[in-house]
Amino acid sequence: MADLPVAQTRGYQVMEGAQIQVRGLRVRYGQNEVIHGVDLQANDGEFVAIVGKSGCGKSTLLHALAGFIEREGEVQIPENVGVVFQNYAVFPWLTVRGNMNFGLHAMNATEQEGVVERLLEMTGLSADAAKYPAQLSGGQAQRVALGRALAPDPDVLLMDEPFGALDMYTREKMQGWLLDIWEKQSKTVLFVTHNIEEAIFLADRVLVFGNGRILAEFCVPFGRPRTDKLKFITGFIELKKQIVDTMEGN
Amino acid sequence: MARLTRMTLSIILFLIAWEGIARSGLTLISLFPPPTRVLAALIEMARSGELVRDVRASVWRAVLGFVLGSTVGIATGIVTGRIASVSNYLSPIIQLFRPLPPVAIIPLVIVWFGIGEVSKVFAIAFAVFFPVWINSHAGAREVPQTFIWSAGTLGVKGFRVLWRVILPAALPFVVAGLRTGVSLAFIMVFVSELAGASAGVGYQISVSYLAYRVDRMMAALVLLGLLGAAADFLLTGLTWRIFPWLRLAVIK
Repeated sequence: MADLPVAQTRGYQVMEGAQIQVRGLRVRYGQNEVIHGVDLQANDGEFVAIVGKSGCGKSTLLHALAGFIEREGEVQIPENVGVVFQNYAVFPWLTVRGNMNFGLHAMNATEQEGVVERLLEMTGLSADAAKYPAQLSGGQAQRVALGRALAPDPDVLLMDEPFGALDMYTREKMQGWLLDIWEKQSKTVLFVTHNIEEAIFLADRVLVFGNGRILAEFCVPFGRPRTDKLKFITGFIELKKQIVDTMEGN
Repeated sequence: MARLTRMTLSIILFLIAWEGIARSGLTLISLFPPPTRVLAALIEMARSGELVRDVRASVWRAVLGFVLGSTVGIATGIVTGRIASVSNYLSPIIQLFRPLPPVAIIPLVIVWFGIGEVSKVFAIAFAVFFPVWINSHAGAREVPQTFIWSAGTLGVKGFRVLWRVILPAALPFVVAGLRTGVSLAFIMVFVSELAGASAGVGYQISVSYLAYRVDRMMAALVLLGLLGAAADFLLTGLTWRIFPWLRLAVIK
C-alpha cells in the first residue's frame, strides 16, 4: 500500500465468469441518444465505481442496467438485483422493520423475522426498528435503504449516489460502514458517484463516465481492509489527479 | 391544557354575549332566541325522540354517501393518476362535471330516484367523489419513480404496486381529499333533506321553519355543526391512529 504506479487499462476485455457483461448499451430519449454504446463488465464480488460529473448520464446508465428504462444492446445481469437511490426511496408509510421486510413476501413469517433481525443488527438499527423514516437522520434512512435492498439476498447491488445527500462527516462514516458490509457479504457492486475520492476509496475499479460513454478505466491498487488514512497517501492523491484529468478531458 | 381553557372561555363568552343581546329587548325573542331557549328546544327534541331519529337519519345518509363516494373516488384517482391511457379518456369527462356545484344535481337526482334514500345517498356520494378523486389522482401521480423502481426490484410488480406502493404513498393527498369530502357530505345531507325527507337534521330545520320555531331551527343548526365537527375530528383522529406516519415530517 505504497506509492504504486497506477495501472490504466483502456478498452474492453471479456472475462470468464463475469457477473455483469454489457456490450454496446445505448439509451435514447426520443431522438436524443444519451448513452452511446457502453461496454462494461463486473466480476463476481467486485466493487466497481462509476464516476462522472453531474448530469453526465451516469444515473441513466445505472437505471438502464437495472432495466428501469428502455435500452438497446447486450446486457447480461442477474435477475436478482438490489438498488439503492440517492433520495433514499425508503417507504415513509412503513417502519424501519416494515421497509426491510418489504421484499421478503416469498418467505414464511419465521424466516422473514430472522432475516430482518440480522439486517437490523448489521445496519445498527435494532433500537430504531419501530421508527418511521421521518424519525430518522439521513444516514440512518440510507442504512434502511441498504438493508431493504440486501434483504432478498441479491446477487448484484446497484447504488446511485447513495451518499450524495449526506454531509461529509456522515458520508465518510457510511463509506467505512459500507466497506465493512461488502467485505462480509461479497456482493458485486456497481456504485455511481460524482465524488472521485469516494470512488477510489471504495472500489476495486473506477470507470470514468462522460458524454454518454466510458472514457477510461482505472484499477485501484490498494489492498483491503481500507481505512480513512488511505485518502492521504501520495498514491491515492496521484490516482485522484489522473481521474480528474480524464474527466476534464486532458 | 391552556388551549382547552382558551377554547372553553371563548365559547362561554360568546354564549353570554348572545344571551345578553337576545334578552336585552333590542331584538324579538321569538326571532332571535337566546342560547338557553335553544338548549330548551334541544332538550325538548331529545325527550320526544326526534333528536335521535334525526341524527341517526342524517348520519346514516352522510356515512353511506361518504363511503360510496370516497371509495369510488380513491379507486378512480389511483387509476387515472397512474395509467395514462385511462386518464386520457376519463379525465376530460370528469373535469367536465367538476365545475358543477353538486347541489345543482339534486332536482335531477330526485327525478331519477325519487325523494327516498337512494337520491340522497347518490347526491352525497356524487359531491364527495370529486375532491377525493382529484386529490387521489394528484397523490398517485406524485409518487416518486424511485419508490416504484425499488418495489420492482423487491419483487412487487404490476397490479400489486397500486395496492402496496401507490395507494399508501398517495395517502397524504387522499386524506386531504377525504376531509374536504366530509364537509361536503354534511352540506349535501342538509340540502337533500330540505328537498324532501321525513327525518333528518335538515328536515328538522325545514319543518321548524314552516312552524316558525326559530329556537328549534337554531337547535338543529347547532346539531348540524356539532355533527360536522365530530365527523372531521373522527376522520383525522382515525387516520392518525391507523397511519401514525402521516403526522410526521419528511426525512431530516
